[in-house]
Amino acid sequence: MYKILSEETDKSGMKVLNIDKSDLVELMEDYKNRRYYLSSITGVDMKDHIDVIYHIHNFDKNDYLCVKVSTSDEKVPSITKLWKAAIVDEREQYDLMGIVFEGHENLRRILLPDEWVGHPLRKDYDLNKVQYISMDRDGNEHVSFDDKEGW
Amino acid sequence: MSHWIELNIGPVHPATHGIYRFRVKLNEETVEDVDITIGYLHRNAEKICELNYFVNNTIYFDRMDYIDAMNMELGYLRAVETLMDMEVPERAQWIRMIMAELSRIAARMVGIGALGLDVGMLTPFFHTFHEREKIQNIFVEASGGRQEVNYMSIGGVYQDFNDTIINEIKEFIAGFKGKLEEIVKMFTDSEIFWQRNVGTGVLEPDIALDYGVTGPMLRASGIPYDVRKDSPYLYYDKVNFDVPIAKSKDNMGRFLVKVEELRQSVRIIEQCLAKLPEGPYFNPKAKKSAMLLLKGQGDVFTRVESESGEFGVFIRGDGNVKPYRVHARSPSFKNLAVVPIMAKGSLIADLIITIASVDAVAGEVDR
Repeated sequence: MYKILSEETDKSGMKVLNIDKSDLVELMEDYKNRRYYLSSITGVDMKDHIDVIYHIHNFDKNDYLCVKVSTSDEKVPSITKLWKAAIVDEREQYDLMGIVFEGHENLRRILLPDEWVGHPLRKDYDLNKVQYISMDRDGNEHVSFDDKEGW
Repeated sequence: MSHWIELNIGPVHPATHGIYRFRVKLNEETVEDVDITIGYLHRNAEKICELNYFVNNTIYFDRMDYIDAMNMELGYLRAVETLMDMEVPERAQWIRMIMAELSRIAARMVGIGALGLDVGMLTPFFHTFHEREKIQNIFVEASGGRQEVNYMSIGGVYQDFNDTIINEIKEFIAGFKGKLEEIVKMFTDSEIFWQRNVGTGVLEPDIALDYGVTGPMLRASGIPYDVRKDSPYLYYDKVNFDVPIAKSKDNMGRFLVKVEELRQSVRIIEQCLAKLPEGPYFNPKAKKSAMLLLKGQGDVFTRVESESGEFGVFIRGDGNVKPYRVHARSPSFKNLAVVPIMAKGSLIADLIITIASVDAVAGEVDR
């Protein structure tokens, strides 16, 4: 049985459940059985840890709920087994925030090219380091720090 | 004996309506699998928003769903105003509602017109774009921008409605009602349009919910969910409108839902114009000299109904003049992800229609 660490209400009046990440899949499965569906996944880099925020939604009762877990080692269990919507959401958060979802079958970058270095939404990401993308004849993208390479 | 072909569509191809790349696995003419590559228009607006003041970010939201810019701005500003406990004057709320509905009509005109192009009907496209042009002229009159309008500001709008704008909107609405029926008749009179749309791109409701699909696609699968109705924002609870659904779950159903929503949008605008009160059009707490000093703290997640579905914005503020984290839940991103399921087992020609009826906008998918 999962344990809810604390319950609060955020500024928009939404109920927020803070839970430990080991309870995540169990809690989500319980809510899935109550006809909740995944709406979005957001990662927030808090420098010493990463907050992962799930918004789930029940269409019958029109009830929105926010589930928060925090992770210090960038790893969170995947919920793709419960909702297919998590496939693209988790890939996006992996791509931009660098959260590794354990158990995701196809965890690769979705918006940036596969070879990209770093995760842009991290607070320590260096914006001055420019990366150049080129495409070869087969349509595969290559990334380089040298603007002449590949052209 | 099967013959496997891998066909590449895009990134720059008229059928993709933007820049995506579809790698289609074909068994003769039947689609076995579709692999979608996105990210060609990725600018990482979420990171840019972290570097800017709250008030500067509306222009980056304009460029997400660039054909429905008003609703994108509204989505962001709703989150910011909730974060800052900012009241919006009554007149500004009605003005926002009129603009959001006009923008929805303009966006649908692109969607429907492009669907016609993909079926092979060139004529309706010119008629729909003619109507869109009229709306853009209204936007120019109000804000100075045609597509990326930057009209709404924190706590209100940048410029009040004058008599010219109100007359222009009234004139447009009066002409549009008849024109819409004319455009719809062009589509529905065509035997080819029916043959191409009926029974193709079927999306079952449980799959749609599982994939997080919202907007006209969800309603065309038979689930009457509309943010405007279910959790009203602005004054959507004070106007009468209906949420149409389709039982057929196919491309034709999606087309008919979109058309019916246009009629409802017209209804909403007429009621807004009748109810538009006099008064201030922005909150003095957010006047131009104080805009850069607005601060916010805490977490918010608010939603609006954009033309492609439920557009949610998450903001975390740390008590500073810049947001700590901005995240946009873009509906097109989710809607596009379900295309491989809808296209599986259909003909390659039907895949093109399905992509067109999903009506995903590249700027919003890639952000």
